Amino acid sequence: MKNIEFPIPHNETERLAALKRYNILDTLPDHVFNDATKLVSYICGVPIAHISFIDESRQWFKSEIGIGVSEVPREISFCQYTIMETKMVEIPDTLLNDRFKEDPNVTGGFKVRFYAGIPLTTPDGYNIGTICAIDHVSKELNENQRNALSIIAKHVINQLELSTKNIELNAQKKIAERAVLVKDSFLANMSHEIRTPLNAIIGFTDLLAQTKLDNIQRDYIDSVQIAGENLLLIINDILDLSKIESGNLTIDEHPFNLKKTLKHVYNLLKVKVHKDVEFNLFLDAELPENVIGDQGRLNQILVNLAGNALKFTEDGEVTISVKKVSETTDNYSLRFSVKDTGIGIQEDKLKTIFERFTQAEESTTRKFGGTGLGLNIVKQLVELQNAEIHVKSKQGRGSEFFFVLTYKKTDHIEIPTETFFEEGLGKLKILLCEDNVLNQKLAKSVIHNFGFELDIAENGEEGIALLSKNTYDLVLMDLQMPVKDGYQTTEYIRNEMNLTIPIVAMTAHSLVGEQERCYSVGMDAYVPKPFKQAMLLETIKTVVNKDVKLPPKRKIDLSFLEEMSCGDVNFKKDMIDLFIQKIPNEINQLEAAFNSNDMDVVKKLAHNMRSSFDIFMLEDFSNYLSIIEQEANIGHFTAESADKMNILHCGIIEVVKNLKEL
Amino acid sequence: MKIVLAEDNEILRKSLSFFLTSKGFIVDQFSDGQEALEAIEKNSYDLILTDINMPGRSGMEITQYVRQNIDSPIPIIIFTSSGVEQTELDSFDIGANEFIAKPISPAVLLVRINKLLNIRL
Repeated sequence: MKNIEFPIPHNETERLAALKRYNILDTLPDHVFNDATKLVSYICGVPIAHISFIDESRQWFKSEIGIGVSEVPREISFCQYTIMETKMVEIPDTLLNDRFKEDPNVTGGFKVRFYAGIPLTTPDGYNIGTICAIDHVSKELNENQRNALSIIAKHVINQLELSTKNIELNAQKKIAERAVLVKDSFLANMSHEIRTPLNAIIGFTDLLAQTKLDNIQRDYIDSVQIAGENLLLIINDILDLSKIESGNLTIDEHPFNLKKTLKHVYNLLKVKVHKDVEFNLFLDAELPENVIGDQGRLNQILVNLAGNALKFTEDGEVTISVKKVSETTDNYSLRFSVKDTGIGIQEDKLKTIFERFTQAEESTTRKFGGTGLGLNIVKQLVELQNAEIHVKSKQGRGSEFFFVLTYKKTDHIEIPTETFFEEGLGKLKILLCEDNVLNQKLAKSVIHNFGFELDIAENGEEGIALLSKNTYDLVLMDLQMPVKDGYQTTEYIRNEMNLTIPIVAMTAHSLVGEQERCYSVGMDAYVPKPFKQAMLLETIKTVVNKDVKLPPKRKIDLSFLEEMSCGDVNFKKDMIDLFIQKIPNEINQLEAAFNSNDMDVVKKLAHNMRSSFDIFMLEDFSNYLSIIEQEANIGHFTAESADKMNILHCGIIEVVKNLKEL
Repeated sequence: MKIVLAEDNEILRKSLSFFLTSKGFIVDQFSDGQEALEAIEKNSYDLILTDINMPGRSGMEITQYVRQNIDSPIPIIIFTSSGVEQTELDSFDIGANEFIAKPISPAVLLVRINKLLNIRL
């Protein structure tokens, strides 16, 4: 075997490593390189030009004109010599050059007479390839052409650097995105883990506060309660922040009573007012009563701002004022302002107070407490509602925070809540599905306090077993449970057991999307943990009343049967019994035939059954059968008839149940 | 007055039968067309009340048989839940005297029966 010998740069190993770093070998053509090659050909006026890279055994052309191959062995290349140099190699006439005059590519092959090549040198000094101009006739480049060639060489290297950096950047970006994801789920999980025991602490403290206590004990309990609430606020802040960051925090748009909301905020904070501070709520006379927007977020923003104002004001005034600034046919623009005569903010700190973990004074945290997240959250919440928050402040004189929100108009008139069940819900029988023993205990005390009965299931499966044995008015459903979780259990209750019993989700997750998921599997309401007793009671009231207000059950019209029976009660009863005895069976047969695509049987049964439905004036069912019969005639069932089949199945169960109750 | 009632739906058949009996008719009821036809051949009736879709013989077949084979002018009322116009046309074509679409109103049925039997109320 012929021993291949070619010049090898002294730093060959490092040079090859450098080349490898760019990941350029055997990549697809790239117009940036092609353009550079064209430029070389134009500028030097040559028919052959290329940009190539040289690895251990070959010269690979990233881009070429007039060569027609993608690579050549290293030992036959001219460029193997060029990468040994630091400057441009120019051979005006290869026939006059001792090294090349006998070269096969001079005497034959590419017939190279003129060669000019510049090494492509990486920023760290390795010649990884070349950029060349080649001609079949002898020639000499002028100074401008040589300069141009070096400039192009530099550009090619820059281009390589850039794309490598981009690849690195992309990889880093992916790492960063993954980290954010991990952080988000960490925060969500942590807040869940923290909220669960906190739920128990706050709940039991609540219960404890309702027992007989002496003054010292009362004081201790008050402190525990305040600390618990504060801890919850902090966790909620962190959770909100992670939601805003991950873009999961959305702005709801619902009609709400603006004045009531503002008064609620005012009343909530009134209890925290320092004795030397006057706390005011000024509402513009022209303020609309109801608007469409996010009530909860407005609440949060104002509580945060006014809470801050009260915290930093030892004497003087804190004023929340709301004014209508403009009005269109669809919208109101309202200016919300929270103004105080507190310690104020230094001018140079005004810009940074909205940043995270920043408080105007470093000593602030020590003196006034807080996470330093509040204003950042407020800013983001205002911005999510397409507005901007502004601050004016003078140190020692006070501050004003204000923003203008645009709310849609509404003609919604708040219906006064019915006092239907207001006095009491009676002795509701409630089923709790919850695996955590502490939470079970807490819920038990609270539910007993409400005067309701409670059964507890350790998991969804147990819950289902209890539900099929006993009658309940309501299910309280934890979402995370072993064996069968809250979602699966609800799906089972709704779809398999066909129960309409109200189901209230109870969860410490409070993640965006979770609430929607609860509703979509068929739950009626959602209570975040740690739950407030009042809120839980309110929710129970709402869902239980909702159930009462549901459209009345199908009332079976027996007038036709009455006409037929000419007032004979016994005959009427006989016919009803006949219906109860025959129809469920026939529906089952129909369904079986439907499922096995037995068109003839479906046709006959559907046709026949219509007469029975007609007598009980079940016109809708009769129509469904007619649709099924028609499709059976055509010989093909569509989704429509499958849907009707389903409705019939469920509807008949209900009708038979109602008839039995007669 | 004696009526043949051929209807395979038990609830409807029993209801109609009960209704007509209450109105003073004597009703022989059948759920199978063939059995109805045999009874018609054997006994004498004043009116035939028949559904179309039935096991045994259809109402159409019964009508055809009565008119062509027995050659009887007995009043025939056909009722059906088929909403197809052609069914109604065919019914009259083969010799039915009345066509009633389901759901049947008992009052209307009674009026038609009485009309066909020339009974004045």
